[in-house]
Amino acid sequence: MSRFWALALKELRQIRRDRRLTISLIVPPTLQILLFGFALDSNVSNLRLGIVDESRTAESRELISVLTQNPTFRLRGSYATPAALGEDLGVGRLDVGVVVPYDFARLRARGRPATVQVLLNAANANTAQIAQGYVEGAVAFLNRDLAGARAAPVELRTALLYNPGLVNAWFIVTGVFGTLIILNGSLVSAATMIREKERGTVEQLLMTPASALEMITAKMVPLFVLLMIMVGLVVAVARLVFGVPLRGSPVLLLAACAGCVLTGIGLGTFISTLARSANQTQLISFFINPPLAMLSGGLTPIEAMPKWVQPITQLNPIAHFSEIARSVLVKGAGLDVVYPNLLALVALASLFVAFSAWRFRRQLN
Amino acid sequence: MRRILAQARKELLQLVRDRLALGLALVLPVGLTALMGTSVSLTVTDIPIVVQDFDQTPLSRRYVDAFRTSLTFRVVTLPAATSPETLLARGRARAALIIPEHFERDLRRRRPTETQLLVDATDGNTARLVRGSAGQITRAFARDVGRVGTPPIETATRLWFNPGRDPQKFYGPGFLVLGLSIFPTVLAALAMSREGEQKTILQVYVSSISAHEFLLGKILAGMVIGFVQCVLLALLMFTLFGLRFAGDPTPLVVGSALFVFCVVSFGSLVGAAIPNQAAAVQAVGLGGFLLAFLLSGLIFPIENIPDALRWISSLVQARYYVLIVRDAFLQGGGWPAMWWAVLAIGAIGLVFYALAWRAMRRMQVKA
Repeated sequence: MSRFWALALKELRQIRRDRRLTISLIVPPTLQILLFGFALDSNVSNLRLGIVDESRTAESRELISVLTQNPTFRLRGSYATPAALGEDLGVGRLDVGVVVPYDFARLRARGRPATVQVLLNAANANTAQIAQGYVEGAVAFLNRDLAGARAAPVELRTALLYNPGLVNAWFIVTGVFGTLIILNGSLVSAATMIREKERGTVEQLLMTPASALEMITAKMVPLFVLLMIMVGLVVAVARLVFGVPLRGSPVLLLAACAGCVLTGIGLGTFISTLARSANQTQLISFFINPPLAMLSGGLTPIEAMPKWVQPITQLNPIAHFSEIARSVLVKGAGLDVVYPNLLALVALASLFVAFSAWRFRRQLN
Repeated sequence: MRRILAQARKELLQLVRDRLALGLALVLPVGLTALMGTSVSLTVTDIPIVVQDFDQTPLSRRYVDAFRTSLTFRVVTLPAATSPETLLARGRARAALIIPEHFERDLRRRRPTETQLLVDATDGNTARLVRGSAGQITRAFARDVGRVGTPPIETATRLWFNPGRDPQKFYGPGFLVLGLSIFPTVLAALAMSREGEQKTILQVYVSSISAHEFLLGKILAGMVIGFVQCVLLALLMFTLFGLRFAGDPTPLVVGSALFVFCVVSFGSLVGAAIPNQAAAVQAVGLGGFLLAFLLSGLIFPIENIPDALRWISSLVQARYYVLIVRDAFLQGGGWPAMWWAVLAIGAIGLVFYALAWRAMRRMQVKA
């Protein structure tokens, strides 16, 4: 046991001396979570609205004011003809165009339905769908007003659970959390694991009486402690800066973080066994990290991925961690809800650590 | 000129001999763009919705059927003795529709009735989509059943540029930009920092090649690789993503050339400033990838970035290139729409070139 502690202490000292490693445990994760949380927002607002009002009546102005009162749209300009409107839509100066026909007021006065044309730049499918919902909702609202006392026969009351303010950062921050742990964890671990190989001091390590297993655990334990401190930092930023709630059990969250950290260490160790130098670990990470991060459901919903990709995400530790983080933090779920994900995460972590330790050991011999 | 070409040839030879770098240069951009472009989307279909029908009448079932037939929703059955809220908490359903008792009776008697929708709003964007589509379905149902006749104002919506609202057509070109932002930059940074790390910059220093010639040779080699990647990625757009040029493709051609010049200069700048390959790659990862990913409007609109951060995005070349690529494949606005974006990329490229040249001269002094 004392052998193990001696080795672990040696690793800890080596990590502490390596100023770049310490910095890379603090600065990139903090910066990344801040950037992701602030910059990635799918909210649809301030869409540039162009209007052609051929009717020029009180009725048409009422419709236009209903549309522009909505924070989703910002009136960019009025156009004389639909052609001019179409041209600006084509060069990207507008997102939405509304054409009110010349007989709008007359048709309404006669009690006949009047049709308003809505032109949407649908290049961005998501924005287009939400914008279409808003335009139609606004017109439905006006219709209800015009119908007077006669309310619509069926009304849908919507209640938004867990995140009634629709704060997008809660989704992104909880999603990026796992990505940060795995990516930074694997980078730092790969850097420590490769050190002996790069400096050619493997022989010195082999001359010690410690067994290969002791060596690996002695390398992993200090990393684990350091990465858990990084996790604490990230949680603090998420709570203090983005106000992400912690509705579930903190112990459960920590358990999931531990699983995630172990997976990251396993991944890093695995990468280090593939590479010959620190350079190469960086380059190999380029092959592994982006797909791992993007196919995790951390930034975009897994349900929106193609059917054949969705089962593959089950093999991604970040996907399970994001699910746990969201359930525990935002929805306040307990173990009875997240146990399948937690089990999967633990299984993946053991698999990664065992496999990489095996490869590392084989390399030592 | 001859010296520039010789330098470029040497760089390309060096690349071809390095298998890892060659993989980075040719295989990875295509694979990554294909995978990301098809997988990443915000538009969820088949959202599991659970229905609690307290009415159990033909009319209430017709209302549920309206949800069942929509592409957005997939109705999941509510197990006995469970509340819809537990299914939401367990993540089995993203929304719950609750139909009250006397739904049919109230409708028949022309008394207004209310149905309730509970939405799991953890993912705000999906929640917004769910709310919008459930509202649309309910309005259509109400019009159908309530015999209220057509409403006074109707909307006729026309979707331009992407009438099928296919998310791949939007994200495919976006990830083309991401691929082209990462890989030429990484390769250029590696090629430059290698000279510093292995001190071969001293050999350059004593040779007759001038700083501009050396840098231009490196950039030329990087641009050749960048063009190959660009063509490969464009082929991917035509095949996998089913896109065609929507209009005049010349802004895309000119814009791509300038963009490749821009990112290769940026890579050379990083490589010259950091004479350590591992650190240079990390810096490019942070600077090139993260900025291109976060601040270019690739997935999420730039307009939503807080003001304090948004100004940075106008310095990010990928932000302009995203516009140019999407315009070429979707909107087809051509030069009148895109001239300023092409100019902006050119300007940023020149700044990066000047900075790279300065950093390189310092590198010679340091070595």
